[in-house]
Amino acid sequence: MPIEPIVNNRTARWGTYAIAFVITAAIFATAFWASVYFNTRRAAEIRTAQDSISVDILSLETQFDLLAQHSCQDISENSVLSKEIQPLGERLAYLETQRGVNQDELTRLKRYYSLLQIKDLLLMQQVAQKCGLKSVFIQYFYSNKGDCAKCEQQGYVLTALSELYPQLRVYSFDYNLDLGALRTLTQIHDVQNELPALVINNKTYYGFKSMDDIGKILPQLKTLKKTATSTAQKLDTNP
Amino acid sequence: MELVTYTLLFVSLYFEVFLLVTFLEKIAYRKHSAASTPQTYPSVAIVVPCFNEERGLGATLHSLLALHYPAGKLEVIVVDDGSTDKTFAIASEFAPQVRVFRKENGGKHTAMNFALAQTNAELIGCLDADSVVEPEALLRTARVFEQTEVSAVTPGIHVRAPHTLLQHMQNVEYRISIFIRFMQAALGSAFVTPGPFSVFRTSVVRELGGWREGHSTEDMELALRMQAGGHLIANAPGAVVYTTTPRTFRALLRQRVRWTYGFLRNALDYRYMLANRSYGNLGLIVLPLALVSIFSGIYFFFSVVFQLTISLISTYTRVEQTGLLPHPSLELYYVNTSAMWFLVWVAILFVVVLICAGSWIGSGSRKPPLSTPLFLFFYSFLVPIWLSVAVVRAFFNTGVRWR
Repeated sequence: MPIEPIVNNRTARWGTYAIAFVITAAIFATAFWASVYFNTRRAAEIRTAQDSISVDILSLETQFDLLAQHSCQDISENSVLSKEIQPLGERLAYLETQRGVNQDELTRLKRYYSLLQIKDLLLMQQVAQKCGLKSVFIQYFYSNKGDCAKCEQQGYVLTALSELYPQLRVYSFDYNLDLGALRTLTQIHDVQNELPALVINNKTYYGFKSMDDIGKILPQLKTLKKTATSTAQKLDTNP
Repeated sequence: MELVTYTLLFVSLYFEVFLLVTFLEKIAYRKHSAASTPQTYPSVAIVVPCFNEERGLGATLHSLLALHYPAGKLEVIVVDDGSTDKTFAIASEFAPQVRVFRKENGGKHTAMNFALAQTNAELIGCLDADSVVEPEALLRTARVFEQTEVSAVTPGIHVRAPHTLLQHMQNVEYRISIFIRFMQAALGSAFVTPGPFSVFRTSVVRELGGWREGHSTEDMELALRMQAGGHLIANAPGAVVYTTTPRTFRALLRQRVRWTYGFLRNALDYRYMLANRSYGNLGLIVLPLALVSIFSGIYFFFSVVFQLTISLISTYTRVEQTGLLPHPSLELYYVNTSAMWFLVWVAILFVVVLICAGSWIGSGSRKPPLSTPLFLFFYSFLVPIWLSVAVVRAFFNTGVRWR
C-alpha cells in the first residue's frame, strides 16, 4: 500500500538544515578519523617488522663473527632478512602515498628502513665475499620530490628484476632523506643529485636504465637462477 | 583539486542526509491508508497530447477509460498535434467517450492550451501517450485536491514493463525519482509537474496564462511559474502511472539531454529564486543543489576517467619496460582506507537507502529492484554523458527537440 501524500508549504525549518549539517559533518569526521586510524596501524605494523629485521641483522652479524667456527651454509643466500626487507619497502612506499599519515613518523620509519638496508648491504657483501656466494648488489637512489621523472619507471624495472632473480639484491634509497649513514654511502660512491642513479659493482650510473641496459652492465645476471613464478608471469614477446 | 572534490562530496552527502532527515521527520507521524475515495468528485479533464503516437495511444486511452471515477465527471480529450501517422484514426475509434481534436503541429504546450480552451472541468491533467494509469490513480489524486491550498498534484511514476538492461536500470532510477518527487513536495519545493498524469486546478492554469514552450520542458516551466506565484504542488505516490522508457541509449540520451537542458535554461530564467529566502526550501536548497548535482556529476565522472587514464598509462609503461604484468596484492594492508573512499561508499549506501525509500513510498515494499547493482555501477557512468552534452548545449542556447 503506497504512502499518503504529505502536503506542505516551502517554509524552511532551520532545525532540519542544522541536523543534516551535523550528521554530514560527523560522517566526514568519522571517515577522516578511520583513515588516520588505519594508517597509524600500518605504520605500527611496519615498525614491528623493522624491529624484527633489526634483531635478524644482529643475529646475522653475530653469525658472521662466528664464521670462523661455523660453516658458510649457516648463512644462506635467501635469509629471512632478504625475504622480509623488500615487502617492507613496498609497504613503506604505499604508506607514503596515503593521506593523513604522520609525516614525522613516516620519516622516522624511512630512516630506520634505510639504515637496515645499509647494514644488510654491508653484511651481505662481506658474507658473499667470504663464502663465495653469487649475490649481485644494486644500490638505487631515487627522489620523490617530483624532480625525477624517470624514477617511477626505474622502480618498475628494478622490482621486476628482483622478482626474476632472487639472488639480485636491490637496495633503494631516498636521496633526499636526512640520514648520516646514507650521506656517507652517497659520498663513498660520489653519487650526485642526477636521479635516478644506480651503483653497480662500485660504479655509479646516472639516468634511466632499462632491463637490457642492466643486463649489459651485469652480465653475471644470466648465470643467476630465475624464479618459477616470475618466469611464468613474463610476457612472451619472442615466440 | 582535492578541496573541490571534498566540497562537492560534502554537498552531495549533505543533500542526501537532508532528504533522509526530512523524510524521517515527516514520516514519523504518517500512516499508510487504504482510503482512496474523495468526499467530493471534482470534474476532471485528462488531456492526451499526441504527435505520431499510433503505437501507444490505444493502451493509454483504454487505461483512462478504465479509471475508477464517476463517468459524468471525467472527460478524456485527445489533441492530435498534426500527426502524420494513424494517431487521429486510432483516437477517433474511442469517440464519443473520448473527445478528439486535430490541429496543426505546434508543440505539446500548444496542444495543452488547445484542450484548456475546450474544457470547463475543475481539474485538468495531462497524460503522455506513452503512459498508462492504474484504475485508482485519479481517485487518489482527486482526494489531495480536497485540500484547497493545493494547486497541482504529481503522480508516482513507474517504468512500464522494462525489457532491456537500460530500462531495468531506469526502473531503479525511477524509484529514486519517486522518493525525490515525494520529498520535494513535502518540502513544498516541487519544480516539475511531469507529463505522465500531473493534474492541475484549471483556474490556476488559466490564471497563470496556460502552458509555455519552456525550452521543450513545459512541465518544468509551468511548475516553476506556479512556485513563483506561490502555488502549492503536492505529490500522490499512490496515483500510479506506468511510463514507457527509452529502450536504447541513443533514445535515452536524447530524452535526458532535453530534460537537463530544459532544467538549466529554466533555472536561468527563474534564477531570481536561487538562494532567495522568499522561496523557502526551493530557493535555499532544492534548486541550488539540483544545479550543483549536475556539475558535480560531470566533475566526478571526469575525475574518475582522469585517474583511470593515469593508472592505465602507468600499467602500460610498466609492462613496456619490464615485460611483466603487475600483480596487485591481496593483502589487507593494501586495502584502500582513504577518507575519500569511505565517503564514496557512504554516498553509495545512501543511494541504496533512497532506492529502498522510493520503493516503499511507491509500492509499500522496501525491496530495491534486482537491477540495483547494475544501476549503481554502470548507470552512474552514463549519466555524466547527457549532463555534459546538456550543459554545453544550454551554454550555447542551441535549443533541443523532442524527437
